[in-house]
Amino acid sequence: MKRWMVFVAVFKKTLIEMRRYLFNMVSGLVTMYLIFLLLFFGAKAVGGSAFQTGGHLEGLIVGYTIWILSLLAYQDLAWQIASDAEIGTLEQLYLSPAGFGWVNASHMAARFVVNMVIISLILFVMMLTTGRWLHLDLISLVPLLVLTVIPCYGLGFLMGGLALVFKRIQSSFQILQFVFVALIAAPMSQFPWIKYLPLAMGNSLLREVMVEGARLWQMSASDLGLATAVGVGYLALGYGGFAYLLNVARDRGLMGHY
Amino acid sequence: MLPPGGDGRLVAGRPQPARPWKEAPDLSHAVDAVPVLEIQGLTKLFRRRRKPPVTAVDNLNLRLEAGEVVGLLGPNGAGKTTIIKCVLGLVRPTSGVIRVAGHDVRTEHSRAIEHASAVLEGARNTYWRMTPRENVRFFAGLHGLDWRTHREHFENLLERFGLSERADELLLNLSTGMKQKVAVVCALAKQTQLVFLDEPTLGLDIETSLELRSILREMARETRRTIVVSSHDMDVIQDVCRRVIILKQGRVVADDTVESLLDLFRTRSYRIVLSDGLGGEVLQELEKVTAGLSVARKSRQTELEFSLPSAEGLYKVIDLVREGGAVIETITQREPDLEEAFLRVIRDGGLK
Repeated sequence: MKRWMVFVAVFKKTLIEMRRYLFNMVSGLVTMYLIFLLLFFGAKAVGGSAFQTGGHLEGLIVGYTIWILSLLAYQDLAWQIASDAEIGTLEQLYLSPAGFGWVNASHMAARFVVNMVIISLILFVMMLTTGRWLHLDLISLVPLLVLTVIPCYGLGFLMGGLALVFKRIQSSFQILQFVFVALIAAPMSQFPWIKYLPLAMGNSLLREVMVEGARLWQMSASDLGLATAVGVGYLALGYGGFAYLLNVARDRGLMGHY
Repeated sequence: MLPPGGDGRLVAGRPQPARPWKEAPDLSHAVDAVPVLEIQGLTKLFRRRRKPPVTAVDNLNLRLEAGEVVGLLGPNGAGKTTIIKCVLGLVRPTSGVIRVAGHDVRTEHSRAIEHASAVLEGARNTYWRMTPRENVRFFAGLHGLDWRTHREHFENLLERFGLSERADELLLNLSTGMKQKVAVVCALAKQTQLVFLDEPTLGLDIETSLELRSILREMARETRRTIVVSSHDMDVIQDVCRRVIILKQGRVVADDTVESLLDLFRTRSYRIVLSDGLGGEVLQELEKVTAGLSVARKSRQTELEFSLPSAEGLYKVIDLVREGGAVIETITQREPDLEEAFLRVIRDGGLK
């Protein structure tokens, strides 16, 4: 079984869908930018010149970028599974000899590439709007972005599993959006336990790179280790939950039902 | 009415020349000694809260060899779709063993599913925002087949199903029949030994149904694939399949060739035309010795249609009619169709 061929097929389909739903993608981008403008001008009006100093503005840009990336990450798979169940293609995806998990992992990887393009565009426009240019050292940035969003993919798998059983789970997306805001915004110095939850540690490390110009190899090995452990741990938990819920769906004959 | 093609196939538009089915060189995965599908003691219970479980499949045993074209028949809830989904791993069996080309579906799902593909009932099976060609590429890709290597086979399939000219249009803009054909092409593009077609003609108009049946019949004749067709449409089964399996409440109640099944009823189904009527008492006696007795009165004639448990029973019927004082004008053996055979088997709970 050529697993690479499965990834290529899924990647090409992702690109085809992007082209077919171009208007939806562009309007999504515009919405994300409008929300940032709202946050930026709102904070500026409330905080005045103090907002633009002390790293608050940079923090907003980095935090917003990670928030968007994490939202895209965990919603993608769950939305895709719910959508495939609704249109009646989910069962065909399960019939790949590469395995349903691999098909979904390919989907996530393909979407990650697309999301990186989207996020780069938004980041560029945000920096252009604020006039604050961050350090974009790709060698340090890309691995940390991956580590930061990996737990969200774990959550994505879990939500995907829930979508297999319960089908309509979109309302839970909204709850998680606010949870993610809290995880990104909460100061780790005051709540040290938060570093064991998704996003918090990655967000802190990304700030170091993008705001303070730190390099990956200059960072504390224990911090990097913790970010990796949190990432891999939540991914494993999420995938475990997905595998369990997949069996529940198969047991109840729910695959493909909507 | 659509014109027949050069090979007798009904085609939309101009007749198409017959081309042999081109199979990829590696299609013959199955070694003949190993059955393409083997099911032993398959049982599936669907558990329900505060209610007794529903038995969808009950201790089913089945063996399909390479090149067989099998029809699965059964009333709603007989377990046809559940069996197919169990074989594909989409539904987890409560007990039993399923092997596809010798691979256990439970423990070697990936290896087993390499040999199976399906068009499932009640599902689109394809992406309507993609073109037929894109769908074929995607679903074949999910099976590890790349476009460049297998292009000729994919294009051949699109052509055989009359889709070449519209292969780059969105499915959204195609007719129901064309969408269904794309779903079948996507299943066939995977080049698997075992193909399940669950209600392949459901919702199609008569012309498209005939066209699809014709293509399937031709494909079944020319390739070594094992094809399982599940359908409520008896004509599809009678037209395409050589073997038929009739299910009732999750159990096999008949498993024979279509011809044998029809022969069985051909020898037992009769129509007798009488020159006058029959009394109620005689009819009551006839009901006791026949099955499915129907009486139709047409002006001065009376038509009796019935089946007999054995050919010898005909003499008893003749005696009863004579005793009733009626004159027999004609006795004919009725030609039963599969629908009648199916209904009889279901009503009797099996072949008797």
